[in-house]
Amino acid sequence: MMKRFFMIVLAAVALFAASCGGGGDETGTAAPEARTVNIYIWTNYLPQDVLEEFERRTGIDANVDTYDSNEAILDKLQSGVADYDIVVPSDYMVKILIPEGLLQEIDHARLPSAKNLDPRFLDQAHDPGNRHSFPYLWGTTGIGYDKTKTGGPVDSWRALFDERYAGRILMLDDAREAFGAALKIMGRSLNEKDPAVLRQAAEMLKKQKRLVKTYNSSDFANLLAAGDVDLAHGWNGELAEVVASHPDRLVYVVPKEGGTLWIDNVAIPKTARNVDAAYEFMNFVMEPEIMARIVNDVHYAAANQAALPMIDEAIRNDPAIYPPKEVLDRCELIEDLGETTPLIDELWTEVKAQ
Amino acid sequence: MNGRRWPRRLLAAWSGLVYLFLYAPIAVLVVFSFNAARQTALWEGLTLDWYRRLLGNEVLLRSVRNSLVVAGLTTVAATVLGTLAALALARFEFRGRRSTRTLLFLPVIIPEVVLGAALLTLFGAVGLRLSLWTVVIAHVVFSVSYVAIVVRARLAGLDPSLEEAARDLGAGPFETFRRVTLPLLLPGIAASALLVFILSIDDYVVTSFVAGVGATTLPLHIYSMLRVGVTPEVNAVSTLLLAVTIVLIVLAHRLLQGGRSSS
Repeated sequence: MMKRFFMIVLAAVALFAASCGGGGDETGTAAPEARTVNIYIWTNYLPQDVLEEFERRTGIDANVDTYDSNEAILDKLQSGVADYDIVVPSDYMVKILIPEGLLQEIDHARLPSAKNLDPRFLDQAHDPGNRHSFPYLWGTTGIGYDKTKTGGPVDSWRALFDERYAGRILMLDDAREAFGAALKIMGRSLNEKDPAVLRQAAEMLKKQKRLVKTYNSSDFANLLAAGDVDLAHGWNGELAEVVASHPDRLVYVVPKEGGTLWIDNVAIPKTARNVDAAYEFMNFVMEPEIMARIVNDVHYAAANQAALPMIDEAIRNDPAIYPPKEVLDRCELIEDLGETTPLIDELWTEVKAQ
Repeated sequence: MNGRRWPRRLLAAWSGLVYLFLYAPIAVLVVFSFNAARQTALWEGLTLDWYRRLLGNEVLLRSVRNSLVVAGLTTVAATVLGTLAALALARFEFRGRRSTRTLLFLPVIIPEVVLGAALLTLFGAVGLRLSLWTVVIAHVVFSVSYVAIVVRARLAGLDPSLEEAARDLGAGPFETFRRVTLPLLLPGIAASALLVFILSIDDYVVTSFVAGVGATTLPLHIYSMLRVGVTPEVNAVSTLLLAVTIVLIVLAHRLLQGGRSSS
């Protein structure tokens, strides 16, 4: 009986080993001459067929691992023993990674496809001159709403502060985003540092609290789709998805005052071992037809001008994904506020604790 | 009469509530894996679509395979090491026995975040590249203690006269161990092996620190999907995993039952 138990355990182990086959063995240290590239990226950011085409065309073996937060990239790169050759951090994380010395300087001469990128997203505060990163996909923060319940179109952040919608509003549980909505109504920048102005914004948020049904950053799109709230402050990716499945009643809008803009960027870590392959990969994803295929699959906007004509019309003309230029002009990147950060945190705590 | 029946009914109702509390989320998950809607909160009809998609989703399937490999290897390594540790602590006098016994509890008590960060620092310091193997090492670290604790408890309840009898009948130390001690310990060993398997397969925190290239496990993958919203595909894969776990538990239970009736 004991024998039988161990036989089963052994058989199970053999089965695991066999089933992991290639997958498990590749995980050892990769010899540079084996031509591999290890990519660390957000989920659903790189369609399978695009990856396969890259492997076919270059003969490079691509391993993809996914993460759920920018902080994961920081942890892994700081350890110094992560073998990633490509990472895709958001704007603010690029700004943290560069001074830590965790990203390589990029040789622009090796990236001819970079000319396809939209200058609007280049040379931003998080990486002046794009010395360490290039933009990949981007998105916005705005309002998702149920037009059958609001009784008309919504186009301003003021809707989230409107008595008429009391008890039907969802706000992101995120200090910078919530203050951003209030500051935009006041005609200020998202990155306002004046304590007096921030206190005023906090007063607005305190007054608004009575109208808010819930503060939520993870499930906002589902709550809107399920009808638990009629207006949801949220990020465009998730909201665009529920809007696409309920086009008869849901709408996503970037308010006319402008919203938050975020950019995810491709970069090469200092510790990368397959630098040549990493450059080849960066070049590949910046090709217009490849980028267009990515956008058509992942439904996020690309920071790639040349790709635009090849992107499905429905996506290209979807204001939830590609907001009109005049709205985008009013959008801003969230920047590190430095010494003002504790004040915002403190004011946000006051709002939430009230 | 009536007075006696009431407490019993109350108890039954209470047990029902407890079971509901424990199993309702799982039932909802299983039901929603057959939901036609893309969102997890709305019911729009029955479909097997998510299971079909699952079979085509290579990244998700690879994460399942990674999880199974890690849990399988961890279970074997941690069960062997933990059992040996329990035997050493129970049967042998050696210097530092007491402190070892206390230290054994440490990985159980220590917060996972601390353990994960500590392991990542350690791997960094010794220059061990992160991979699937570092995940296995990390999982063995936190699960050995569970095995040692469970097996030691079983050892403590063992009647020493059984081993004495075996020796009296001429069995050598190895034969005594193989034919008497080990079979008696087996329920404890099997129980701890199952515990380790389950701990390993759903670990997120420690894994997220030490996973390297090609080592995205299922929990890591599910968390990373949150950014674009969890689809019922996740419900489908969880349901399948649940089915596998239940089969494993039933199998182990059967084995143990069989062992008891034959001895």
